[in-house]
Order: sequence, then C-alpha cells, then structure tokens
Amino acid sequence: MKEKNFTIALAGNANVGKSVIFNQLTGLHQHIGNWPGKTVEKAEGTLNYKGYTIDFVDLPGIYSLSTYSIEELVSREYIATEKPDLVINVVDASLLERNLFFTLQLLELEAPLLIALNQIDLAKKKGILIDTNKAEKVLGVPVVPTVAVTGKGISDMLDIAIAVIEKNCKTHPLKPKYGKEIEEKINQLVELLKSTDLKYPPRWIAIKLLDEDKEIEKLVHEQNSQITKIAEKLRGDLEKCHGHSCPTVITSERYQVASIIANEIQQITEPVKTPLREKLHTATTHRVFGYPIMLGTILAVFVAIFSFGDFTSALVGDFLMGLQPTVESVLGTGIVTELLWGGIMEGIIGGITVALPYILPFYFILYLFEDSGYLSRIAFLMDRLMHRMGLHGKAFIPVMLSFGCNVPGCLGCRIMETSRERLLTAFVVTLIPCAATSVIILGLVGAHVGIEWALALYIINLILVFVLGRIAFKALPGEPTELIMEMSDYRIPHMKTVTKQTWFRLREFIVMAFPLIIAGSFVIKLAEVANLLEPIANIASPITVAWLGLPAVTGIALIFGVLRKELTLIMLATLLGTTNFATVMTPTQMIVFTLVVMLYIPCVATIGALVKEFGWKKATTITVIEIALALVLGGIAFRLLTII
Amino acid sequence: MQIPLTELKNGEKGIIVSTVFKSPDAPMCQHRARKGWKKKASIELCIKRLTDLGLTPGTEVTVVKSAPFKGPLEIYVRGSRLAIGRGMASRILMEVKR
Repeated sequence: MKEKNFTIALAGNANVGKSVIFNQLTGLHQHIGNWPGKTVEKAEGTLNYKGYTIDFVDLPGIYSLSTYSIEELVSREYIATEKPDLVINVVDASLLERNLFFTLQLLELEAPLLIALNQIDLAKKKGILIDTNKAEKVLGVPVVPTVAVTGKGISDMLDIAIAVIEKNCKTHPLKPKYGKEIEEKINQLVELLKSTDLKYPPRWIAIKLLDEDKEIEKLVHEQNSQITKIAEKLRGDLEKCHGHSCPTVITSERYQVASIIANEIQQITEPVKTPLREKLHTATTHRVFGYPIMLGTILAVFVAIFSFGDFTSALVGDFLMGLQPTVESVLGTGIVTELLWGGIMEGIIGGITVALPYILPFYFILYLFEDSGYLSRIAFLMDRLMHRMGLHGKAFIPVMLSFGCNVPGCLGCRIMETSRERLLTAFVVTLIPCAATSVIILGLVGAHVGIEWALALYIINLILVFVLGRIAFKALPGEPTELIMEMSDYRIPHMKTVTKQTWFRLREFIVMAFPLIIAGSFVIKLAEVANLLEPIANIASPITVAWLGLPAVTGIALIFGVLRKELTLIMLATLLGTTNFATVMTPTQMIVFTLVVMLYIPCVATIGALVKEFGWKKATTITVIEIALALVLGGIAFRLLTII
Repeated sequence: MQIPLTELKNGEKGIIVSTVFKSPDAPMCQHRARKGWKKKASIELCIKRLTDLGLTPGTEVTVVKSAPFKGPLEIYVRGSRLAIGRGMASRILMEVKR
C-alpha cells in the first residue's frame, strides 16, 4: 500500500523543543545534511508506526516566514513547494503569543497543520494554564499537549497526525483576519493574482506583497508587473492612513491577532517565588559577577577537556602505534609497508587521536551549554567586545570553539545571520591558536625560552585577531548587523538530544577531515620516500633561512604542519635528533618559528571546512593572506629580536 | 514623554511609539551611526527583524538591565526575554510615563 507513506515537517520557533520531539520520533534513523545549495542544516528521519512509514523533516527554528535569514526562506519554500502531508507546529506553551505569531503565518501559507503544545508542564509551573479545547476551536486545527523531554503526548500526537492526513479528522483552519482597510487591499490583490500562476496560495502572496517581501515581489513581477505596481500604490495608501510603514502595520496586526488568541485560551497567575532558573539568569548575566562566572566556566571546561584529551590521546595513540610491529611482521618492512603505515595508518592515527579525545568532549560540552541556554548569556556578555571586530556577541561562540580546534570553529560560523558575518567570523576563527598550536607555543617557547614569552605570543596573537578582524570588517562590503536574540529560560539539557547532536557533528568532522588528513599524510610520505623533502626545504631556504633566520630543516617541519600543526614540533624533534631544542636553536629562532607556525596556514582540515562552508575561492584567499602574514611578521620579528 | 529605548532606566516600562526611522539622520539614529546604516535596505531588514520578534508599535517593553561598557540591553517583551544591541535599541522610540 503506497498511501501509507507520509512526510511530516516540524516547524516552530527556536528553543521550543522541536529537535527533542524530532529525536523522540525518529530515534537513530536520522540523516543530517544540508538543504540543496544552502549552508542550512537539514535533518530528516524516518519512523515506522502502526504500519505507516513516516518521513520527518525538522525545519530550522525561526520566528517568522519573511526573508530575514536563509533559514526562513528555506522553510517557507519547503512548505509551499514540497507540500508535506502535514506540518506539525511545535509551540512553546509558556510563550504563547510569540509562538502563535508564527502559527498564524503557517495558517496563512495554508499548510495542513497540527499544533504540538510543548513544555506544557513548564508553562503550568510558570502559572500559565491553557485551555486546549478552546485553542482547537479558535485555531480550527488539532492541538495536542506534549512534554517532549519525557515523551508525554507524543504517541497521541502521532495518532492525531495520521487521522488528519487520512482525513478522518475534520479541520477548519482559521484564516487570520486583518483590519478592514488591509482586508480590502488583500482581496483586491487576490482578484488580480487570479491571472498568475504561482506555487504559493494567492492570499499569502497578497499579504506578502503588502509586506514588501522582495522575493515574492520578484516572482509576481516576472509574471505581471502591473500587480506589483498596484501593490506599491496600495502600500502607500495604507502607510498614509496608519502612519507606519506597511510591513510594520501587517506585522503589528498579526501580532495583535496572536495576542487576542493567546489571551483567549490561556490564564496567567503570577508565580509566588522566584524560581531557581531566574536567579541563575540574574547571576550569569550580572554586569560584574557575570564575567568571573563565565571565565571560570570556560577555564574549567578547557582544563577538563585538555586533561581528558591528553590522557585518552596518549592511551589511544600508544595502543595504535603498538600495532606497528604486528603490521610489519605481516607485510614485511618494504617500501609498500612504509607508505601504508607511515602514510595512511599514521594519518588515521593522527585523526583519531585528535577527534576522539579533544573534539568529542568539546562538542558534547558545547551542546550541553547550548541546550541549557548558557551560550546565549555568553553572547549577551561578550557582545560589546566582539563589536570591536565588527561582529556581534554570537560570534564569540565559534571563536571560543576555535581555541579547541579551528574546524568546529569554522563550521560554527553558521550561527551568524548574514554571509558577510559568516566569512568575517571564519577569518577571525582561523587565526585563533587551536589546541595543537598551544602545544607548540607551550612545548617550544614556554618550555625552552620562558613562559613569559609564550604568554607574549598569545597576546600578540589576540592583538592580531583584533587588528585583522577590524581591517577585514572595514574591507568587506556590507553592513554590520546588530545582536538581537531571544534569551530563553534556562533548562536542564536533554541528554539524548545533546548526545545525538554531538555524534552527528563528530561524524561530520570525521567524514570531512579524515580523508584530507590521510591523503595529505600519504602525499608527504610519498615525497619523503622519493627523497623530495630536502630539495623542497632547500627551495624554501631563501625564505626560511635568509628571511626568517631559521635552520633549513624547519622547511620540512613546516610542510608537515599543514597536516596538523603539532606535527611541526614532532618533525622538528625527529629532524634535529633531539627534543632539547635549546641545544640546537636560539631563543630567537624558537620564537620566530612558533610565531610562523601559529599563523602561517590553517591546517588541511580547517581549509577543508572553509571550502565546505565558503567555496574554494574564499578559502584560498584566507589561506594566502595568512601565509603572507606569517612570513611578513616572522621576518620582522626575527629582525627585531636580533636587535634586542 | 517620548525617548529612545536606550534612555529607559533599569526596570522601567514603556510603550513603543515607532520603529520607523524616517530619516537616518534623525537625532535618535546618530548613536553609533555608521555609513552603512543609511542604506535603506539594511534599515528595512532591521525593522523587519524587530517587528517579527514582537517589537511592534503599541507593545509594552520593560528594560531589565544592560550589559556593561554600553553593551546590549536585556528587555522583556510579550512574555519573553530578548537581548538587543544598543544601536538598534536607540532607534526605537518609546512613550514613558514618569
């Protein structure tokens, strides 16, 4: 029976528990990818339920169906053109007004709708009681109370969803009505739109024309330029009589409808005492105490990750390297084994010893923070500082990630709203010293020159980040956008969702970075076997020796560093035949070398992440700028330090 | 009394009068004004975002607090808590009873 295959989309505001519901429904049968041609995440999953096969699509969390962000465009295009059998609108019961504003837009888009009234328990605790029957009557679509974190109401929701799709349950969706003058104009436009053929409902198009929606205007203009002209005139009329711009009038009225419905179906009683989450919010966003709390938290996270990472990394590394004799005893010690082991296997080992011990806990804690709501508080506190670089508070999150690894940092740039900000953040992010760079700063300069010099390098790096961020901000065309975000209530993270998000991110990292690391390490091993490394180092010697004042062998170390930065130190030790670098390099050389490593090129995995998010051209530009920067600054530092 | 949202004291309530910045050179827009802000499209997008989040004319807004060093404001609107950059907030004109 073919009819038993359904597609259901989940839509709703951010932080309403949409992804928790998605996880409850689809379990492990998920596929996370991107929307075609967009860097917006698309999560799909399948559920077999009572003989039905249901495909779920988790749409991005948004507040409106306008054109503010790519997410909003993707969502409305999906609903209008792919026409899912049902849209489940997940609504936060404790924030009815704001959520209904979005629901009204789904109704306008004439999507087949079911409303999941989520976090109904939390709403009750906040003193908000909702009459579900009344809500159903007013909105004309089924309303199911759910508590996603415990799974309560989910099976009811599914049963009703199936009934709606199979038309066993009659719905009379509400058609949100605007004021008289606006309705007149909508009807006038609907009449005119009869001559056109568009994939969206005519009434919705009419509303969007009054809403000055550029995308819709373009679509209509292509078919009948007369209509857009009339729409413009009608907008002018409305503006004259309301005294506000037409989009503002439409949005205001829509909010008013949402407000009336919300007041009709909910009863609010003030809670007696301040709940813990409110106290926590006050403390973590306090203008004085907020910062020490934030610094303490971040430091604790880093210490925890690095001690866990060091321990497990050594353990896993030792175990895998211990396999070498076994491999050699099976395959012999010929050139093939050397290529296989040194090229491929060591690449895999390198990937594993970074991915599992460092990246995994990093992602986990990040999502724990995000789910609890703390990340938005950090963005609130850091907004001012990030503005110095022309970015806003949200950019602090990818920057913070980058201190662990630049790859998640680059991928994390997605949270920024405009493509300009994404690129700007990515540029800043690749300059941040990651964990591997820290190993070199501390292991070379910190251990052999002095910890104050290591610290100085960090400070120089941060100054550079600010200066270059600022220059890039001025150089890139476009306008800065300001921070505007919801700080949703603190809540206990839902472990299953956090774990899953961690796993999907880790998988993304492995799929993207591993092939690059392995291929890169194979190529370098090949060059080594063919005795090409030294000639290459010699070719580079005018730069390394004459300009930077470094030993010639550093050229080879720097080539390896493209794979993973900590390899520069390992290779340096191998090439120089000692780990006591102070005996073979001067302090100046060590400082210059570290400075160059810090800046010279994002590692191959980071370049991969840049290509994935921004394309080859921009990735190359960033890479070239950073190589040039490292060489210029390295040379200057060499000359300055020699004078001292 | 009509003042920009940024002028409200912590804990103070007001009603939004207008989010339309007719002229980018109006006094309330000069706070951290940039050349880019004068472009119409960006202002429209900015207003769209504000109104979509419920900051429409006639809405009651409570200022909770602001982040230090002229950081963003924490405001309470339509039952939810928003963080909003100062530049944007200075472009919202409020009616306050004092």
